[in-house]
Amino acid sequence: MIIKFRLDGRDVSVEVEPNELLLNVLRDKLGVKAPKYSCGIGECGACTVLLDGEPVLSCLTLAVDANGREVTTASGIKGEEAEMLMKAFAEEGAVQCGFCTPGMFVMSYALLHEKKRPTEEEIREYLRGNLCRCTGYVNIVRGIEKVVEMGGKK
Amino acid sequence: MMSSLNRMNTRIIPFSFSYHEPTSLEEALSLLSKLGADGKILAGGTDLIVKMKARQAEPRHIINIKKIKELRYITVDEDKIRIGALATWRDLEKSSHIISRIPSLLDAASVMGGVQIRNMATIAGNICNASPAADSAPPFLVHGARVKAMSEKGARFVPIDSFFIAPGKTALMPEEMVVEIEIPLPPPSSSSAFLKLARTSMDLAKVSAAAYLKVDGGTIEEARVALGAVAPKPIRAPSVEKELIGKPATEETFKNASKHVVKDISPIDDIRSTASYRKKTSPYLVTDALLTALSRIGGEKR
Amino acid sequence: MGSTNYKFIGRDIPRRDAEIKTKGLLEFSSDIYVPGMLYGRIVYSPYPFADIEEIDTRDAESMGATVITPKDVPRKLFNIRLVSVEEVTFKDWNVLTMSPRYLGDPVAAVAAPSEYLAQKAAEAIKFKFKKIYRPVLDAFEAMSLDAPAIRERILKGEQEVTVSKNVGAELNFSEGDIDRAEKESDVVLERSFKTNRRYHFQLETKASLCVPEVDGRLSVYTTTQTIHNTRILIGQVFGIPLSRISVKRIPIGGSFGSSIQTNLVTLISVALCLKSGKPVKIVLTREEDMYDHADYEMHLKLRIGAKRTGELTFGEMHNIMDIGAHQVQAYPLLGTALGWFVSLYKWKNILYEGKAVYTTKTPSCAFRGYGAPQVSWAVESLMDELAEELKMDPLVLKLKNYVGLGDVFWGQGPTVRSIIRSDGVKELVERGKQLIGWDKRQPPSAKKGRFRNGIGFGRSFHTSGAGGPISGEVIDYSGATLKLNEDGSLDYITALQDHGGGTLEAHAKIIAEELGVPPHLINIVPADTSITVYDVNTHASRGTYVGGEAARRAAQMVKSKVFEAATRMLPKAVNPEAFKIRYDEALEQAVVYIEGMKDMKVTLAEIAKASWQRNWGTIAATVSYRATSAPPTFTVFFVEVEVDTYTGTVKPKRVVAGADLGTPINPKLAEGQLHGGFVMGWSMAYLEDTPYQRETGELMNRGMAVDYKIPTFEDAPSIEDFKVIFANTYEPTGPFGAKGLGEAALNPVAGAVANAIYNAIGVRFYTLPITPEKILESLSGGE
Repeated sequence: MIIKFRLDGRDVSVEVEPNELLLNVLRDKLGVKAPKYSCGIGECGACTVLLDGEPVLSCLTLAVDANGREVTTASGIKGEEAEMLMKAFAEEGAVQCGFCTPGMFVMSYALLHEKKRPTEEEIREYLRGNLCRCTGYVNIVRGIEKVVEMGGKK
Repeated sequence: MMSSLNRMNTRIIPFSFSYHEPTSLEEALSLLSKLGADGKILAGGTDLIVKMKARQAEPRHIINIKKIKELRYITVDEDKIRIGALATWRDLEKSSHIISRIPSLLDAASVMGGVQIRNMATIAGNICNASPAADSAPPFLVHGARVKAMSEKGARFVPIDSFFIAPGKTALMPEEMVVEIEIPLPPPSSSSAFLKLARTSMDLAKVSAAAYLKVDGGTIEEARVALGAVAPKPIRAPSVEKELIGKPATEETFKNASKHVVKDISPIDDIRSTASYRKKTSPYLVTDALLTALSRIGGEKR
Repeated sequence: MGSTNYKFIGRDIPRRDAEIKTKGLLEFSSDIYVPGMLYGRIVYSPYPFADIEEIDTRDAESMGATVITPKDVPRKLFNIRLVSVEEVTFKDWNVLTMSPRYLGDPVAAVAAPSEYLAQKAAEAIKFKFKKIYRPVLDAFEAMSLDAPAIRERILKGEQEVTVSKNVGAELNFSEGDIDRAEKESDVVLERSFKTNRRYHFQLETKASLCVPEVDGRLSVYTTTQTIHNTRILIGQVFGIPLSRISVKRIPIGGSFGSSIQTNLVTLISVALCLKSGKPVKIVLTREEDMYDHADYEMHLKLRIGAKRTGELTFGEMHNIMDIGAHQVQAYPLLGTALGWFVSLYKWKNILYEGKAVYTTKTPSCAFRGYGAPQVSWAVESLMDELAEELKMDPLVLKLKNYVGLGDVFWGQGPTVRSIIRSDGVKELVERGKQLIGWDKRQPPSAKKGRFRNGIGFGRSFHTSGAGGPISGEVIDYSGATLKLNEDGSLDYITALQDHGGGTLEAHAKIIAEELGVPPHLINIVPADTSITVYDVNTHASRGTYVGGEAARRAAQMVKSKVFEAATRMLPKAVNPEAFKIRYDEALEQAVVYIEGMKDMKVTLAEIAKASWQRNWGTIAATVSYRATSAPPTFTVFFVEVEVDTYTGTVKPKRVVAGADLGTPINPKLAEGQLHGGFVMGWSMAYLEDTPYQRETGELMNRGMAVDYKIPTFEDAPSIEDFKVIFANTYEPTGPFGAKGLGEAALNPVAGAVANAIYNAIGVRFYTLPITPEKILESLSGGE
């Protein structure tokens, strides 16, 4: 079947099978590779995208469920807050191998939309579904906190 | 015979199925009655799709009910809270003004999965998956929830105590689906709490426990205790409850009563923990849940 | 020492790839797609230990899939890792095998236009078995007489060797006189330790894409820590000249040692590509990946002796390593484990016996720390026990006996030795002690109540590379090409892989410092094997120390050529050696000048432009560099834990991590290594293992991440409770005084955690991980 949705600010339409996952359709058919396959079962958060603004796991979402909706990946997140996050990630050493980072970015962005001034505990709670094997998480939290301190969303 | 490494494939759904996307409850129920055991309801997908990738479930028909928008609600009536089949864990958190009446359920929400999982996973799906470790089960058990199951023939209410049958098995008939979970509004001077032990903060329970207490003038009037991951299904702990009712609501009472929990549980060794560990920790977890519940009575919830 | 005088070294400059990584625009191997590409899927045997009679591929082929079986690939055995010299490389691998020895041994592979079709074709492959054996899952059982032979004949270099009792390799060593030393000892301790078989859980599963180019060359994009060894292996296995193969340096989504070797998926993608004539990409599922690599499971029996004064008299270690179904670097690790042991403390008299034993489990390979986390856990635990026995502060005992400044360090085992020239251990211990409040530490007997806190200390180190004054059994050299562009910017070309720690960023800063050119003007060129000189591997924490020094030397060569060119522009200057180069803040570029002479000054950009315009030619240099030393980066960890004696749950409360890495080139990234090292070490101490089902030989978790837990954001210590300190040292043999850090950041952690748990509850554990289950068991009831 053909599905249509908004992907990172553009309209796309693509033919999919019912058993196809959103993650694979984004990557294989639409060329958006920010969401990554890592665990495949919702344990790691590397495939996180925003579906109508809410973070979901694209590895456990049928592509057909995106029909008529809005999908935003790390590549499509824009705006001042996103810029601040990206800069803070770079400055604080939040990025190492970078494989988990798009998922971390999507989650951090979603968090700052939900809560303007999250505490460290709230940051950790919100991102606990995203695994990182490199950083020990400290510098990712620092990156997010830096944006919080700067006032986050303008 | 095929290697399980070849049958499983978590990169894709490794088989095909017929897909149905009903837009009304009636349509969904008629599909269910037609397809029976061949059809499987897909809501959040966080359990079912994992099972499909692992080839633990290979349904020939998938009935995706996400388009039946009217099933997504959390409301409160005069005497009960009603949770629709499509309400997610995050919906629950966001309805904290309602759910704060059921504190143990909010506790469960705060330790269940990550935000993404809670955005996707439905509460109804959590009980339908019938994992002995389901985080929602102990709170529902101590609050005396009941499950509204529907088929084309009509609706029936299944008390949560008799909903779980075995690992992965519920009292639902193949042509039935859960449309709602009802929780009676608890009386004043009561509260509840839920706690779990797990390997990390993103894990299924090794042991979980919920406690509900109603206290009058320092005496325990009502007490219900339930546990997860210590039996083939989530269970109540009558031996503990018996020791609580009528006694003073003190730590000592809780400690003494909690010891009896070993009579109610039948834990096993698995990859997450051991029977012995589960036996040893259950009493402490029950005591802690009781203490937390007590601390909430009269004061602020949570 | 002097780092404050540096312009770029030691300053935090955001890494250039951070933004594109954050946005998900940087492509990893699994992110590369080419037109007409087929998707591959590997086919496995349902039995872990069997001999196959026949493979029926007809159904799969009738579906239109390309299928390969063992008869389509060369038969000669090889080893997937090429770091050791040929003579000591043990070879027991095939691309595909008729004799699977564990569940992840590939027996066939398919390729089809979609992953779904590849899946269906893989499911259609059928086997007929000649013989099925019971799985052998325990090293001691494997060595018993009635255990079936997992392997009979393997190759050592080009020589065939017979495997007896499933012992794949052995290494024994002794120095001094143990018997006499034992007699002279006041205290002798003997303990047996068993480490966990951890899984790397790098976020990116192993992946490979092999593309046949129109001129017949092969391009390979794969998860590897070494593009050159991967190319050489492809060349050796398939008999293709190296000039016909180009392996690309592609960012890797974590590795931690699991791609020091060429992952088999790479060779399988090449075989499928050769057969189909089309590009073939294979990305392993997480569950396949969990069957692809694991850590070495070590059974360590230690005996140590000491005098009442705390002077050590001898150290003995028996190391039985369960290596799984194949050898990757079992033999070199037997030597390296010995190296770690003897380089921790001055045992004076040493006895070592090491055996690498085959089992029908996932093959063990290097895992960050390369045996040092295991050996350090055992030694640091036992040294604490010894201190208690001697009624000494463990810090005092350890400082008294540690191998430090001026001593011989065995970087990678008996053949890699060098003298220690920088040592910040005492400084780190002193500062760490203050920060954690060591002097207020109470003995376990003083702890009461449900929640008990404990403070533990662990120290270790890791080598920086595997270089040394003589050529031993390990290949270790690096290379760099640097060319000055026509506008004064630079192209830096290296084969060295960055795992994400920022190694190449460090190289850019080293070049920047040497030439006074701001790092952003140094292009880290996307590279492949065709345009780079050889680099052995990004392993052994050598990226900064060896690779960085290669980059520095290339920069020095460029510099002297720049000075020669400068004499043409400033004709009064007769001697190029009189020139200096520095970054000019006002001009925001590099200038070449003579001190004290205002008019003797020209910018690097002017020199570059003149070299082009006046036809002087390109200024460039290529270096191939081997380090003459492999210095240790010392690390210490002080950890405070809280144990819930009712549930056995342990939480990390406070951490002080100290590192003597010489000059920190990227301080923030260096800190990040210690954060990550701690969390990985914590996980090793407390969480991770890969148990197997006895009957089926399957992983108990079947490869599913749901039952292989690593810490989350909430399981790690908070920012405020995690302090990092660096020693003020300078390594004279390293680039600008730097040493490596990646592995040292992990090595002491499990020991420190184990000692902290002991300090909390008074119980020692000899098996990793120290789970709540074990803790509760040991407290017998917990009340």
